[in-house]
Amino acid sequence: MESVSKHFVSLGPAGFVLKALLVAIAANLLLLGFIFFRRSYRKRFFRKRDARLLDIQRDWDRLISGAIPYESWRRKPFDLRIIETVVLDKLESADREEATRLLKFLRASRLIEKLIFEARQHTGWRKNRALVALGRTRAPEGIPALAEALRDRDLETRLAAIRGLGRMACPEAGDELLNSLMEVGLQVPALPLQSALVQCCSERPRMLLKFLQNSEMPVRQIIGRVMGEVAVPSLGNDLLPFVQDEEAELRAAAARALPCCDANLALEALTDLVNDPVWFVRLRAVVSLGKVADPATVPPLLRCLRDPNRLIRLRSAEAILKIKKGQAEIFHQVLAAKDKYALHAYLTALDNNGFQEMLREEITRHGGFSEATKSALLQALRIGNLHDDRSEKVKETALARAAGAP
Amino acid sequence: MILRLLAISNQTLLYYYLLCNFSYLLMLIIAFRTSIAHHRNLQSFKLAWIKEAPLAPPISIIVPAHNEEKSICISIQSLLTLQYPELELIVVNDGSTDGTLSALSERFRLRPIRAVYVSQIQSAPVRRIYRSEADPRLMVLDKESAGSKSDAINAGVNAAKCPYICVVDADSVLEDDALLRIMVPVLADPGRVVCVGGIVRVVNGSAIRNGRIERIRLPRKSIEIIQVIEYLRAFLVAREAWASANMLMIVSGAFGVFKTDLVRKVGGYRSDAIGEDFELVVRLHRYLLDNREKYRIAFLPDPVCWTEAPSDLKSLGRQRSRWQKGLLDGLWRHRQMLFRTRYERTGCLALPYLWFFELFAPLIESLGIVSIMAAASLGILNRDFFIQFLLFGYAFATAISIGSVLQEELTYRRYTDWRDVARLVMYCFLEHFPYRQIQIYWRLQGMWQYLRGDHTWKTIKRTGLESFHTPPPAEDNATVSSVAKW
Repeated sequence: MESVSKHFVSLGPAGFVLKALLVAIAANLLLLGFIFFRRSYRKRFFRKRDARLLDIQRDWDRLISGAIPYESWRRKPFDLRIIETVVLDKLESADREEATRLLKFLRASRLIEKLIFEARQHTGWRKNRALVALGRTRAPEGIPALAEALRDRDLETRLAAIRGLGRMACPEAGDELLNSLMEVGLQVPALPLQSALVQCCSERPRMLLKFLQNSEMPVRQIIGRVMGEVAVPSLGNDLLPFVQDEEAELRAAAARALPCCDANLALEALTDLVNDPVWFVRLRAVVSLGKVADPATVPPLLRCLRDPNRLIRLRSAEAILKIKKGQAEIFHQVLAAKDKYALHAYLTALDNNGFQEMLREEITRHGGFSEATKSALLQALRIGNLHDDRSEKVKETALARAAGAP
Repeated sequence: MILRLLAISNQTLLYYYLLCNFSYLLMLIIAFRTSIAHHRNLQSFKLAWIKEAPLAPPISIIVPAHNEEKSICISIQSLLTLQYPELELIVVNDGSTDGTLSALSERFRLRPIRAVYVSQIQSAPVRRIYRSEADPRLMVLDKESAGSKSDAINAGVNAAKCPYICVVDADSVLEDDALLRIMVPVLADPGRVVCVGGIVRVVNGSAIRNGRIERIRLPRKSIEIIQVIEYLRAFLVAREAWASANMLMIVSGAFGVFKTDLVRKVGGYRSDAIGEDFELVVRLHRYLLDNREKYRIAFLPDPVCWTEAPSDLKSLGRQRSRWQKGLLDGLWRHRQMLFRTRYERTGCLALPYLWFFELFAPLIESLGIVSIMAAASLGILNRDFFIQFLLFGYAFATAISIGSVLQEELTYRRYTDWRDVARLVMYCFLEHFPYRQIQIYWRLQGMWQYLRGDHTWKTIKRTGLESFHTPPPAEDNATVSSVAKW
């Protein structure tokens, strides 16, 4: 050993380079050894897991029914983890009968209790994982643990609890979300909360009404948006007061929900809302009028075609096209309005939907138009512009100037 | 006097290397931690839930294309099959002189429409707008070329209808779930997250079928393998670490998601900027900090975009020169942000880092090499100093490269063949000589070109995505060479 060292010293600077090379090679080999070992270990692990998964799937019915004693796998963390994953995945796509059977199994095997324990006692990502898993079970007994986590100090945990309650997708979970929202205010980003509330309240949207009446901004705004997503026809009269609400978000939510209500009620309220001073309320109202798709919506939609907002003009045009009949008359009215922005929006929607040919045929076949009107309509459809006298005059003046006229 | 100057120069170089590599080591540690946290967070989240979420915001994918006739249809077809609940695809044909538009028109049955196009952000005139009859989500803008990718993207931003835009290069391939993954931070906090960057990986060597990555392999050429290591180090280490402290200064132009209205507010991409992606992100930081807004610019290492890396020295040199020019250009434009408390961490830490350790690196390193060579020729090179120089300059840097490969191995593991990993580790040792020195030259060249006012865009030779296709059709068996403008 000593002689090797002496040999290196005798090499001078080259010895150092040689030593560095040897160290590098050794480090390289060590690292590759580690990677190789890890890969082999993982390969073995996954092979073993797949084999076990296959066994478990084969005995699934016996396992669920309890024919295989729960204690036989509950004490084995490896099996326990596989079974938990399989049950949760199966629950996602299970029908009512299968879900009941799986839930019964979760309760009998005390897997639910384990998840509740983990959701309450663990910390960090383990707690978050347990919270979401608990939500995926859709077992009502998990709701209190999830509700507790809604008040956690950690944002990630609160988000996991929201996701969990969203996966529950039941009014009881929605109640917890809304109660915590009223109690502690908005402590999480709005979108995940809205998504969870939409999932929980779609079965019973009426539950939102009392919270909507008693809450203040910004909570009211969030509940309003959720209401917009989940409203059903039976809510008809209950939504009407919000058309006059002082908060624009609520008016927009009402506008969004109104197509689900009685058509006459909706039409009247939406016709008011298209005149709202706030652009996004008008936009919602226009989109909703499009959903109603009734010829009676044409006059307000034609007004909206001249809205100063580009999006509203475009949506109005799209809404108008949903009323398939009478497009030739509508196009005539669009031209009569002599608004090039309105015409452009209408033609854009027409092109987007590929209805240009249909309109051309309708104009040609129309019996109520004179030949001159038909020709004007077809020309406007072809060139996509209004016949503008002023622009003709401007052109003439420009030509005259170019020719040297005074 | 000269001896003293040489000694000072050598010592300065040593401390510079030390600082540079320690900062990279710190980034490596932070990136490891962030990666693990991200993986654990994903355990309580399923991507499939985004697909069924009623409130998932729609995305407009903008694909600028200039002379991409060979690969455009494959790319667009692959983008249209991406997993995401609602998306529109805007292809901007930026004055292509080949058959890009006709290829698109034939494949996707395009028909001209008279859509409302408001030029909110400045861009060259749009000649015509088309919509696909085969898939109405596809819109094609045919515009005049203004000679820059930024201009094409701006036209796409003007036409975008969705609240988020995703800019993707026409010669890149996104993985199926890339959009779902990249939207995770947006869905968690849409109010704050204004921009998310995904990882860009080198596709060379891998096999593609119908616009999808079929088999991932390491490229064969050394120059390409070294780029794989560089990309891993840049994305898995640097970007992940900077993003964790909300100081990410670059979101790759090849794949990133931005809030549409914010991009419009700041005026879109600058057509005259050389590194338009870098410049935009710095401008976003500036705008948001000027307006005292709470925001986050995030980076995720798992939404993957595969792109082709230059495979010859000349093209690589041009690319690196351009990157250096872009860096200098972006930093110079926003020099007022430096050390201003108003710009918080961005102005006091991230930008100074970029000036000192990225922009000046080739200058300082080349000066150091010259001074070491001078000291050696004068016979005054201290042996201890030289050992320290090698240790901190090269061994440390090698360790960091290996760290990034190790992170890839421990977390994302795209290279399943262990021989690929072995080659990657081996190249971590080899990349420092002579590649690193050549790169210094390219970067210095870039700076010199910028200072001389040479802002021209030199072409980079690419083989095109179609050359990675497997199995190749008989008539396309030969590798098709196309010269891409970008």
